[in-house]
Amino acid sequence: MLRFGPATGPVVVVALPLFEEANRTRAFAVTILRALAGRGIAGALPDLPGQGESLVPTHETTITKMREGFEGAVNHLARPAFALGIRSGALLDTLALVQGRWHLSPMSGADLLRELVRTRQASARESGETFDPSTLGTDPAAPPVELAGNLVSHQLLSELSGVSPMTGVARTVRIETEAKPADAKLPGSPLWRRAEPDNDETFAQVVADDIAQWIATCAG
Amino acid sequence: MQPDGFHEVEETVRGVLRDVLGISAERAAAFDEATPLFGALPELDSMAVAGVLTEVEDRLGIIIEDDEVDGDMLETFGALVRFAASKALT
Repeated sequence: MLRFGPATGPVVVVALPLFEEANRTRAFAVTILRALAGRGIAGALPDLPGQGESLVPTHETTITKMREGFEGAVNHLARPAFALGIRSGALLDTLALVQGRWHLSPMSGADLLRELVRTRQASARESGETFDPSTLGTDPAAPPVELAGNLVSHQLLSELSGVSPMTGVARTVRIETEAKPADAKLPGSPLWRRAEPDNDETFAQVVADDIAQWIATCAG
Repeated sequence: MQPDGFHEVEETVRGVLRDVLGISAERAAAFDEATPLFGALPELDSMAVAGVLTEVEDRLGIIIEDDEVDGDMLETFGALVRFAASKALT
């Protein structure tokens, strides 16, 4: 787990998105946490089961395991915590005892499943193979499926259609080009869409300002 | 004669390509009817296609069915814009 900022006071714990989007947004998340540290707010970036340096292989992780991992990270920090969920990361903070949840461009599990299937269909079209999405998640004993470069278990796939971000004590922020509703829309670029990991320093500062202000009103 | 809103759809699709593919504003501004996309832009691989389609859906408020996606509508900027307009403007 990466740690930033002071050793006392509230801590912002990041839940990166699942799969490839985690790589695309990791530097951005670190920039946000550094900016928060500069404002005197601590931050933490855990590798949840199946992410980063976790010993759990990707094809053995499930939404439940990741949620428990996030809850465990918050418990381990043992101080007032706020969750920062980016994209599908917003699905992972549901079990943790946090004072609030700040979600950037959250999506439902069904949205994520749709995008994974769409990516597989695009590559299937390119290579001339056929792919039938109707069998996904129906047989828990079936071997993991390759979707968008990751091996995904059927357990996780069957969980996806039923999960959504929590809305209690949550601030939802989106970028200005998004049509879905949000508490605020900020100028920024959809880094999670890029082919390569990228960063947006200006946007990270805007996000850090919003989070810092929100924490001040939450805690006050 | 193009219907009302066509230009808006075109600019939205241009913005999607710029944002999803990380292309500079200047390069995206130069895209025209005949600019080749899938197979010609190195940034637009199969994973990026999924992202482009989803962003176009989100920004225009349309649904693109899996069986509507073929090589033709992705072949040029003009083809993609016309496809998006046919769904967004009817």
